[in-house]
Amino acid sequence: MRKKTFAAAALLAAATLTLSACGSGDKAEGPVTVVSEETSQQAATVLDQPFEKPDLVLTDTRGKSYDLRKETAGRPTLIYFGYTNCPDICPLTMNNLAVAKKQLSKADQDELRIVFVTTDPERDTPAALGAWLKGIDPQVVGLTGDFATIQAGARSVGITVEAPHKDKNGKTVSTHGTQVIAFSPKTDAGYLVYSDQATVDDYTKDLPKIVKGQNP
Amino acid sequence: MRRPGTAAAMAAGMVFGALTLAGCGGPDSGASGSSGTSGASGSSGAELSVSSAYMPQPVSASMAAGFLTIANTGGAKDELTSVTSDIAGSVTVHETVGTSMQEVTSLDVPAHGRLVFESGGNHLMFEKLKHRPTQGQKVAVVLHFAESGPVTVEIPVKSATYNPKTGH
Repeated sequence: MRKKTFAAAALLAAATLTLSACGSGDKAEGPVTVVSEETSQQAATVLDQPFEKPDLVLTDTRGKSYDLRKETAGRPTLIYFGYTNCPDICPLTMNNLAVAKKQLSKADQDELRIVFVTTDPERDTPAALGAWLKGIDPQVVGLTGDFATIQAGARSVGITVEAPHKDKNGKTVSTHGTQVIAFSPKTDAGYLVYSDQATVDDYTKDLPKIVKGQNP
Repeated sequence: MRRPGTAAAMAAGMVFGALTLAGCGGPDSGASGSSGTSGASGSSGAELSVSSAYMPQPVSASMAAGFLTIANTGGAKDELTSVTSDIAGSVTVHETVGTSMQEVTSLDVPAHGRLVFESGGNHLMFEKLKHRPTQGQKVAVVLHFAESGPVTVEIPVKSATYNPKTGH
């Protein structure tokens, strides 16, 4: 009973905050500010048991073989599974990462590896991936290859993707992951998970830490 | 003992919902003003208005997404049956099911309710665009309904990372 009431109060407070956050009137007073700190929580989930980096050898946007573990060893690495014929979440996620990355120093940008693995390899050829990623950030590594291999790689980091299939109109329906996994340059382990709710600001705040393998 | 708690939780949920509705439309969502309401329906029918429209600047001209909210203050439901735009070879209506998108033929706009298109949920999918819309431009679309007359919306193109919750 107590707990429930408290939860309701917290929700109310959060709601009030949401409202005030949108308005231009800056009337935040003491208690609201306190709640503000609680609500601006970490976007990242820090994993108690980090993931091993997926053992994927795929084809990059130049058509060359790319061994994920070998190429990204010792580097801060962000991995996302998506597809280019995706109007909403895939480009949003990748653009969020790309915009946040630009806030890093040039050296850190060059150190960071952002890897986009297609979940729709039939349509996402190396050329198609390359063209799409060029519109987002040419430094992003785009990988394509055998779907079963990609699916297994995704599954190894807790991401479920289904094979593309045709709907009744003959249109291809693909699935994307909703998470971005960050891998530490110190351990090469996937230690942070971001949901598709993570914003540019979240990544901007966290990337400098990720580059160092620290918790945000 | 359970009842008061549940009621409190529900009340809180309702307040939260109401505020989300008030949302961050604000002065930034240019489409709300330019869309107008559909005057074609009768007094007892659906009364539709569109707000919070935006298109994130797409990666290329081959595909873009559009988001908006259709409010119905009338006492009868309506259905969004199709969307057209001069700029796109096709505009289709999609709902997100899990992590895949499914095209649907129509979506209800409930009486005294709303049909919301938002990132991660329902969206309009523009394909084969004549050119790549860029931030600052507007994309005109016409929403077609089962009952009400068509509603024209000028959807402002926002940045690729635009977040309606923060307004930037």
